[in-house]
Amino acid sequence: MTNDPNFSGPTTEQLVFDATESQRRRKRTRIQKVGDHLKREWQLYALLLPTIIWLMVFLYKPMYGLQIAFKDYSVFRGIAGSPWVGLEHFHTLFENDQFLRALRNTIIMSAYGLLFGFPVPILLALMFNEVLNQTFKKSAQTIVYLPHFISSVIIAGIVMTAFSPSAGIVNTIIGWFGIEPIYFLTKPEWFRPIFIGTGIWQEAGFQSIVYLAAIAGVSPTLYESAVVDGASRWQMMWKITVPSILPTIIIMLIIRIGNILEISFEMIILLYQPATYETADVVNTFIYRQGLQGGQYDFAAAAGLFNAVVAFILVMTANTISKRYSRTSLW
Amino acid sequence: MSGVSLNGITKAYGQLEVVHGIDLEVQEKEFVVLVGPSGCGKSTTLRMIAGLEEITDGDLSIDGRYVNQVAPKDRDVAMVFQNYALYPHLNVADNIAFGLRIRRTPKAEIESQVKEVGGILGLTEYLERRPADLSGGQRQRVAMGRAIVRQPKVFLFDEPLSNLDAKLRTQMRAEIKRLHKRLGVTSIYVTHDQVEAMTLADRIVVMHDGRIEQVGTPMDLFLNPANTFVAGFLGSPPMNMVDAKIVAGETGPIAEFDGNRLQLAKLPSLENAVGTEVILGIRPEFVTVAAKDEGGNVPVDVDLIETLGSEALIHASLQGAPFVIRTETVGQMDILDGISGFNIEPHLIRVFDKATGQALPGQVLEQ
Repeated sequence: MTNDPNFSGPTTEQLVFDATESQRRRKRTRIQKVGDHLKREWQLYALLLPTIIWLMVFLYKPMYGLQIAFKDYSVFRGIAGSPWVGLEHFHTLFENDQFLRALRNTIIMSAYGLLFGFPVPILLALMFNEVLNQTFKKSAQTIVYLPHFISSVIIAGIVMTAFSPSAGIVNTIIGWFGIEPIYFLTKPEWFRPIFIGTGIWQEAGFQSIVYLAAIAGVSPTLYESAVVDGASRWQMMWKITVPSILPTIIIMLIIRIGNILEISFEMIILLYQPATYETADVVNTFIYRQGLQGGQYDFAAAAGLFNAVVAFILVMTANTISKRYSRTSLW
Repeated sequence: MSGVSLNGITKAYGQLEVVHGIDLEVQEKEFVVLVGPSGCGKSTTLRMIAGLEEITDGDLSIDGRYVNQVAPKDRDVAMVFQNYALYPHLNVADNIAFGLRIRRTPKAEIESQVKEVGGILGLTEYLERRPADLSGGQRQRVAMGRAIVRQPKVFLFDEPLSNLDAKLRTQMRAEIKRLHKRLGVTSIYVTHDQVEAMTLADRIVVMHDGRIEQVGTPMDLFLNPANTFVAGFLGSPPMNMVDAKIVAGETGPIAEFDGNRLQLAKLPSLENAVGTEVILGIRPEFVTVAAKDEGGNVPVDVDLIETLGSEALIHASLQGAPFVIRTETVGQMDILDGISGFNIEPHLIRVFDKATGQALPGQVLEQ
C-alpha cells in the first residue's frame, strides 16, 4: 500500500470484498463448468447409470447388513433391533476348527490355483500367437474357449463321470496299466488336483483372450526389427512378447490376488462331500453351510467380512508392490 | 564390394502386382534414396531387400551374393524404421545392444561398442533411460545406434524422419549425412519427402506405381527430369507445366500457346517435333520476371506474392492453371509491385511429349 495521502486507490475493505467476490465468482464458474460438462456429455453418463445403479443395489446397499457380523442377529428383531455383541463372532470364528480348516484349504487351493492356473492362459496365448495356420489356430481357440460357456453343474457332471470308478475314462485308462480303480472324488488327497485341473480346463482358454489382446497390441515393427537383428521366434517370444505384455500380466495378477479367497465355491459344493471336507471345505462353503444351511447369519457374516478384509489388504499390497517395482498398477 | 543389385524385382500380393520388375544397382558406399508418393512401392522394395517381404520374382544380390532365399538375419543388413521400433521395456543401452546380444557377442565387446556408438550419436548420458523418457530426436538416434552398432554391410532406412517435427528433421537429416560420410556404409533410404531425397542422396530413384521413373544424381533429376512425373515430383515448388504446340520459327522451334510465343532451344529433336502438341516444363527458379513497363515474353495474371525474405514466390495463373515463379527479392521489390509477365532462356525450357509425358531427347542441362 502507498503512504501517499492523496492516494485514491481501493481500501483494504474493498480489496477483501473484491477477493471474496472473485472467489464466489470462481466457485460459481466451477459449478457452471460441471453443469456444462454434464449437459454436453449426458449421453455418456446415461450409459454409466445402469452400472452405478447395479453397484448401489447389489454391492453398496447390502453393506448396511454387514453390521450383523457385530450383532446377535435375530430374523424377528431385524438388523436394527438386534443387540450389539462386538467382536464375539470373530472370537468364535477363530476358535472354530472347521473355519480354520476352511481358511487353510482356501489359502492352499488359491496358492495352487495361482501357481498352476495363472501361467496357463499366458502360455496358451503365447502358443496361439505362434500358430501360423489360421484354420488350426481358430479351431484350437474355439475348443479351449468352449468349457467356459458350459454351466458349472454340467462341468461337475463331466468330472464325476470322467473320474467314476466304474465307467470313468480315467479309471479305464489306468486300468490298462493294471492299476485298481480309484475312488477319486471320495479321497481327500485327490480333491485339490481335480479341482485345480478342472478350473484350468474350464477357464484357461477364455482367460487367454486378455493376453491375446495384449499381444495383438504389440507393434509388428518390434518383431520386424528383431528379425533383421537375427532373433529367432523363441527369442522374440521371450524378449519382445512377454516383456510387452508384462503390464497386462501384472494387472491380472493383482486382480487374481484380490480374489485369492474367492474360490469358485459352486464347483466345490458340486464336487465335495463330507469325506473330502478335510481338503475341500473352503471359507465360502463354510459360510454357505453356516449361514444358509445352519441359519447362523451373524456368524457367517463375520466370516464373510473377514474374507473381504483379507482380500482388500491383499489387493492393496499387491498393487503397491507392483506400482513401486514395475510402474504398473490398477490405480 | 557391398553393393546391392536388384534385377527384375517383382512383388505381388495374390493377383495384385505392386512392384513391377525393378532393376537397380546400388554401388558400395553409395547413398541411394528411393522417393515417390505413397503407394509407389518404395517401402515394399526396401522390405524385400531387408528380407521382411518375400520376393515374388527377380534376383536380389547383396555384396555379390544371391540372397532371395536368405533369412533377414543372414543378409547382414540393418534397418531403421519409421516409428523407431525401440523396445519399450529396455533402456537405451540395452536397445542398442539387442542385436549384438542376439548374436551372442562377448559382453565386454558389447559394452565397448555400445559406449562407442553412444558417443558417436551423442547418447552417452541417456544410456540408462527408457525410450519413453526420450524425445523424438533422441529415439531416432537410438534407432540409428541399434543399426550402426552391428556394423552391417548395408543400412536400410524406412522413412526414419517422418515422425519428427520440421526443425528436428532438418537437424537429423544433417546427422544422417554426416554419419554416412563417417561410416561409409552402403545405404538405401526411403522417403516421400523430396527435400530429404535431394539433400541426402548420392543418387535418387524416383518411383511411381511400382516402377522406377528415373535414376540419377539429385541435380541431374532436377535439371533433366525424364518425364512429367519426375518434373512435377522433384523441386519445391514443382515445375510448371504449360500445354503448347511447336511451330517453326526463323530462329528455330517456337512453342506457341494462347497467342504467346516462346523461343525453344535449337535442338534436332525439337525441330523435328514441329506441329506436335507438347508440354513445356518451366522451373519456377529459371524464370525472370518483367516489370510493368518492360513487358515480358509471356504475360501472366499475378494472384499473390509470398515474400520469404531473400526470395519471393509469385503465384500467377496461366491457361487457367497455377503458375509459380520463384525470384530474388533483393533489388527487385519495385518490380514485384507490378509484374507484367516473365521471360525464360530457351535452353531452360524442358519439352515433354504430350502423348507420352516423356522428355524429348537431346535436352541436357549441364549442372
